[in-house]
Amino acid sequence: MSSPDWTESFRQEAAELFETLEGALLDLCEKPDDRELVDSAFRALHTIKGSGAMFGFDKVANFTHEFETAFDRVRKGEIAPTRELITVALAAKDYIRALIEAPDSTDTIIGDGILDDLRRFVSPSAVMESPPLQPAGAPAATDRGTDDDTAVAGWRLHLEFESHILRNGSNPLNFLDDLSKLGPCFAIALTDDIPLLDALEPEDCYLTWDVTLHASCGREVIEDIFMFVIDEMTLTATPLSRSDLSHPAEPAAQPPMRAPEPHAAAAEPPAAKTKEAERAPDPRREETKRSDDRAIATVRVQARRLDEMMDRVGELVIAQARLSQLAAASSDASIKLIAEEIERLAGSLRDTTMGARMVPIGSLFGRFRRLVHDLSRDLSKPVDLITSGEDTELDKTMIEGLADPLVHLIRNAIDHGIEQTDARNAAGKTEKGRIELHAIHSGAQVLVTVRDNGAGLNTARIRAKAEEQGLLAPGAELPDADIHQFLFHPGFSTAQTISALSGRGVGMDVVKRTIETMRGSIDMATKPGEGTTVTLRLPLTLAIIEGLMIRVGEGRYIIPLSAVEECVELTADDQRARGRNFLNIRGDLVPFLMLRDILQASGSPDEYQKTIIVSTGETRVGLVADQIIGSHQTVIKSLSKLHSDVTIFSGATILGDGTAALILDVVQLVALAQAHADKQHLNEAA
Amino acid sequence: MTQQSEHAAVDGDQTIQVVMIGLGDEKFALDAAIVREIIDPVPATRVAGAKPFVHSIINVRGNIVPLADLRLRFGMPLTDASTDTRIVVIETQIDNEPVLVGLTADKVYEVTEISRCDTQQTPRVGVSWKSEFIRFITKWRDEFVIVPNIERILH
Repeated sequence: MSSPDWTESFRQEAAELFETLEGALLDLCEKPDDRELVDSAFRALHTIKGSGAMFGFDKVANFTHEFETAFDRVRKGEIAPTRELITVALAAKDYIRALIEAPDSTDTIIGDGILDDLRRFVSPSAVMESPPLQPAGAPAATDRGTDDDTAVAGWRLHLEFESHILRNGSNPLNFLDDLSKLGPCFAIALTDDIPLLDALEPEDCYLTWDVTLHASCGREVIEDIFMFVIDEMTLTATPLSRSDLSHPAEPAAQPPMRAPEPHAAAAEPPAAKTKEAERAPDPRREETKRSDDRAIATVRVQARRLDEMMDRVGELVIAQARLSQLAAASSDASIKLIAEEIERLAGSLRDTTMGARMVPIGSLFGRFRRLVHDLSRDLSKPVDLITSGEDTELDKTMIEGLADPLVHLIRNAIDHGIEQTDARNAAGKTEKGRIELHAIHSGAQVLVTVRDNGAGLNTARIRAKAEEQGLLAPGAELPDADIHQFLFHPGFSTAQTISALSGRGVGMDVVKRTIETMRGSIDMATKPGEGTTVTLRLPLTLAIIEGLMIRVGEGRYIIPLSAVEECVELTADDQRARGRNFLNIRGDLVPFLMLRDILQASGSPDEYQKTIIVSTGETRVGLVADQIIGSHQTVIKSLSKLHSDVTIFSGATILGDGTAALILDVVQLVALAQAHADKQHLNEAA
Repeated sequence: MTQQSEHAAVDGDQTIQVVMIGLGDEKFALDAAIVREIIDPVPATRVAGAKPFVHSIINVRGNIVPLADLRLRFGMPLTDASTDTRIVVIETQIDNEPVLVGLTADKVYEVTEISRCDTQQTPRVGVSWKSEFIRFITKWRDEFVIVPNIERILH
């Protein structure tokens, strides 16, 4: 416990709990009646409080306690979780997070303000409801089916805690103390469940209690005592009349006899109560079981260690390639055998290591729900966020890198894409806008799509802006898709007014740059009046790719295999048709590039030139090489800053013989080929 | 590098430890503090479209390192590699980031000390080198020695 790592693991645990809490709160906006959500929010809060207190985060524990108390009426179903209330609750969650992450720089005044807000939302109804509560003695009695409470002279309670209750920092004895403050109280501990010493878990709670309480209080008063543990216990409360209480010693004298009695009693009068008591613990039990399974199945590993492991595996793969090459040249069969064995092992080790770095993208999507919620409120545009494909896995560095671009895209979609409500009504659309966030595997790539059902891009306005900024000659003819590309230009913004959210023109170019540094690409499609779809194409991993090794002149190059569609032989006809660099691929004209020219290869070309058809998005381009050598496990190394001006290579790798080989940047080559093709078009037109 | 150059600039009469290399007919003194290792020539991979003086990349212990040829920056004729040819791997700063660069040297003489006291103020007649590439020229065993400004040369 004294180790500082505990604090860190509390922080990590809290981070996960915050995610749960935030998710539950946001879900509550949609489904205010879902008791399960309220319960799960409460559980998260309670765990934060408990562990916060345990690790000395007293401020956290105190505030969370206040928060819990104020929020309790929601939990009891007395007030509905309104949107405003959820907003305050979210603010409270942020504040708790701040308390944990930067305890020194967080002012408690903020917390007091939040609590005041929270109480204001919660209390008006309380003021209205409380007067009838007190005289009746049994608040909200009618809807709880406890009509006989008024005649209550005492209670017979059966307390059964879940076995892990002690680990959560709760002490059942404290509850008994609290009970005894209500009135004279006889508690009998039932020891039937205590196992033999061998099987005894010292941290488990095996005791159950039968309590006879002499107090004519309402059921709520008793429930209040167990408020924070109600999910982790079974509380059976049977009202007792004065005559029942006349033999207070009896229950104490004959504990075993009493066991069936409360059950029978509990089953009959407060039916609602039993249901509530049972319903609440059940999901909780499943939950605990599930999280226990997870705790066994997963291990926290520092990200840095994973990175180091990946580096080592990269080196191993290179060394293994050298070994394979040597073995292939050797005549020793046993060496070949070992080389093959090591190749297989290195391959599966690589896959495992890469798999260990994979994180489902859902963890990222979850964060945007809050963003959408806040933006939707700030801009008063009701927006639904629909996510799908949360299970899609990506390298963790990619997930981290994707967060900012997606924030930009979502902001843009809500700020610029989704229209104001009246405009939507006028266009005959649903009042609520919709943002769809979608992820899917596609070959060795992952596609992440952000789609809105807003107004679509305003091509005319982008055009006007481009002309104004001198990016486009006035009146120049350009396909719409090309005009939209100006959005990715640095400092380009069409927003007429600059809002706090977007419109400063430092969004889309950053998005594009970020995606490109991850070796991804970005596509945009828009339909006026129907919305815009932005698709990010990303490689599965940053470290090792499957590549196609080719030879151009003397040099060997790698093309990422994910971009390769097919390989065809360049026919003599194609070669002869100089000045018209198009291939006929099953009826489609595909422009091609002579890699020998681009890579300034020396020597004479091979007789039979090969064409590798590569694609990015919709466009296909042929790359003409001298020879196709075969597939190659490519450990990507970045090029030095001295070569930052060279754009046609995305990196380099080390081949089996120890030499370096360059990796062709397909996106750049396609752009180059398109530029060539366009020039030819112009020439032909002229 | 930065430390050393500041050092040299502040303390004029300080001696600097250098690696003496030969390029063409000239001798160059590389600050020993920036030299990481000296290796035998390895097969280089040409990078199409790169600046001529950093035309290739090489594999140095699993790292991809650009190979720079200072002779091109000083307008010297290129000669074929000989048995004396070495690659001097240095670490320098580009845009405030440490970068490894391999420099081709026709010959590596020795690690020695030079002094700024011997600095020759006037560049020699007939030399058309860009002055920004040269930190200073000094004398070593009665020969002129160029102390290059690596950061400028590679920029």
